[in-house]
Amino acid sequence: MRRKGFSRREVLAGVGAGLAAAVVPGCSGGDGGRSGALQVWGGVPAASGPADVVKAFQEKFPQYKVNYTRFVNDDRGNLKLDTALQGGVDIDVYFTYSQGAMALRAGSGLAADLTDRVKADPDLQVFLDTEQPRSYIDNGKVKALATAREPFFVLFNEKLRQQAKVELPQSWTIDEFRATAKKLTTDKTVGTYTLPDVARIALGPNYWYDGNRSNFGDPHFEQGFRLGREMIAEGTAFPWTEVLSRHLDAYQQNSFLGEEFHLWSTAPFNLRYLYDAKKYPHDFKVAFAPSPTVDGQNWNGGSFSNFIMVNPKSPKFEAAWAFVKFWLTEGATPMLKGGKMPALGNVTDEQIVSGMLGKEPEKYFDLDSFRRVVLASDPKLATDTRLTGFPEISLAVKQQRDLCCLGEKDPGVAIREVRRLADAAIARNERRP
Amino acid sequence: MIAFTLIPLISVVVLAFTDWNLVSGLGGITFNGIDNFVAIARDPGFWHAIGLTLVYVVVSVPLTVVLGLALGIALNRPLPGRAVLRAIFFLPYIVNVVAIGMTWLMLMNPKAGLVNQVLDAFGLQPGWFASSHWALPALIVMAVWGGVGYCSLIYLSALQDAPRQLYEAADIDGASAWSKFRVITWPSLLPTTIFLLVTLIIGASQGFGLIALITAGGPGDATTTISYYMYQTGFQFYRFGYASAIGLVTFVGVLVLTLLTWRAQRGRALND
Repeated sequence: MRRKGFSRREVLAGVGAGLAAAVVPGCSGGDGGRSGALQVWGGVPAASGPADVVKAFQEKFPQYKVNYTRFVNDDRGNLKLDTALQGGVDIDVYFTYSQGAMALRAGSGLAADLTDRVKADPDLQVFLDTEQPRSYIDNGKVKALATAREPFFVLFNEKLRQQAKVELPQSWTIDEFRATAKKLTTDKTVGTYTLPDVARIALGPNYWYDGNRSNFGDPHFEQGFRLGREMIAEGTAFPWTEVLSRHLDAYQQNSFLGEEFHLWSTAPFNLRYLYDAKKYPHDFKVAFAPSPTVDGQNWNGGSFSNFIMVNPKSPKFEAAWAFVKFWLTEGATPMLKGGKMPALGNVTDEQIVSGMLGKEPEKYFDLDSFRRVVLASDPKLATDTRLTGFPEISLAVKQQRDLCCLGEKDPGVAIREVRRLADAAIARNERRP
Repeated sequence: MIAFTLIPLISVVVLAFTDWNLVSGLGGITFNGIDNFVAIARDPGFWHAIGLTLVYVVVSVPLTVVLGLALGIALNRPLPGRAVLRAIFFLPYIVNVVAIGMTWLMLMNPKAGLVNQVLDAFGLQPGWFASSHWALPALIVMAVWGGVGYCSLIYLSALQDAPRQLYEAADIDGASAWSKFRVITWPSLLPTTIFLLVTLIIGASQGFGLIALITAGGPGDATTTISYYMYQTGFQFYRFGYASAIGLVTFVGVLVLTLLTWRAQRGRALND
């Protein structure tokens, strides 16, 4: 006889069994599915350096095999990495690029404690520095090590600079930056894409925080918003309507190469667009100037970044540490082609020139200024270590900056709104267990 | 069904009463009672997002339905190339959302876009996606454009099922076109209209793809509708407990709105 349907008890039992079947594998503490190879997850495409690092590592340590998996370094890509780490996917070493993700991962047991290894290694003592930190230290424990240093500089289009008869600055203030942008503005070319971060230059690392509140009451924040807005209004900085409607933040290089704007405050990772005229056509050389100073302060807008971390669940800790150390020290050179200057500075100037500026550096770059600004100087990099409510504050700053740059909101009002939102985010996050 | 629907549904209800950041794993789940719901009631961002979503729904859904109806009626008449026209109007519904977004982004460029070049003749220069005042209207225009073809197709099939004998009787009685629409066509289309309203309201309240692709909730928070706010809270701030609570509250709100819509038509359809 055919039954009409299921009883309520049978349905509940079925649901319970289904839930159990779904949850139990996730609770497994075992090593199911782990491969023999070291699994490394990073955000840089393998062809932009990591594949060569892996190859060199395997040649030096033939006993280890390494698989490099690329995740896209955006919200979705980072979520994929987080769920993979949390779900017990076979990952031994991984990279963290944003400070918000860093705080979460390091504070939630997803990063192995590397303190003893760092302390025991004479080559790595610099990672214990807390003045200009190159590591992320959580409650006294080293959880992540920066593999790259990314100083900011200002790029000049040499052809347009010479036409405008503007001198290449070797040091300058933010007011001189504004005046230069004005001189470089023509009917066809805007003086600058955007303004360097005024408050960052003046205040340095952790500049969003003041004790258990935000620091947006500091006048440099409003000064930065106001200056940016004034420059857009006078036509010397790129119109924000264009930035938003063309999604230019992600494609700044195209407008620089197309000579839509002149001054470009950027970091080494964008140099890769400037030495390949076949792929990124342009007919001008690029020169380098340091970031401008603000009120005599000269913090660089860049930071130590691209943090490498070890999964504490990794059963291959020795291999993982060998790989981490190799990447940080002798293996770092191939990453230059992606614009990643090693955090330890353990490469020669010539390696940097040939690695970061392509095969014909003289053709596309003013090498004197590159050597002066990037190689010879020692900029004060500001790496944040205070990260409470970091993603919320980042969003608040972006939202209010957009409104201010569009001319829809007064800079003072916009900064006060950022301050209100940031204070709330800090208070909420510090209440959490 | 169990893995992809039931478990996520139950999980959202459970997580709504917790503080959880995903990264801390199942062991990091802390039950916090009704704290999330109390926080939602006091969260200006939530209420702002609800307001925007209501505007988006209240403007885009009726516009889509009315234009879809008009188009459906027009395409129900004998026209040269009618089948081709029907396919053309339905195309936006099946085109990839990324292609739609990128095309409209270019069309609505405030400086060089085709839309503003036309509007310039009338002295209008809206900022569209680069203006906190125009970004939501721009999204509404896109939503209406994308939904009208779908509505017209559904209406078209309903119109072809409309009772012929009633139209014939009305013709014999000398009824006007408006009278025939009011007394025969509209009541016979009411169940279809309610179906469209319900599905469009649910769809619009979940609207996410174009917002994520084009505006990311901005400029400022001008297009942060409730679904995007939920995404920000969960996937950018990693407040999964709070995001689940927002999801639960939104679900209840959409359910109530759907029931009210359903109830409003009871007894008014031709067959009732």
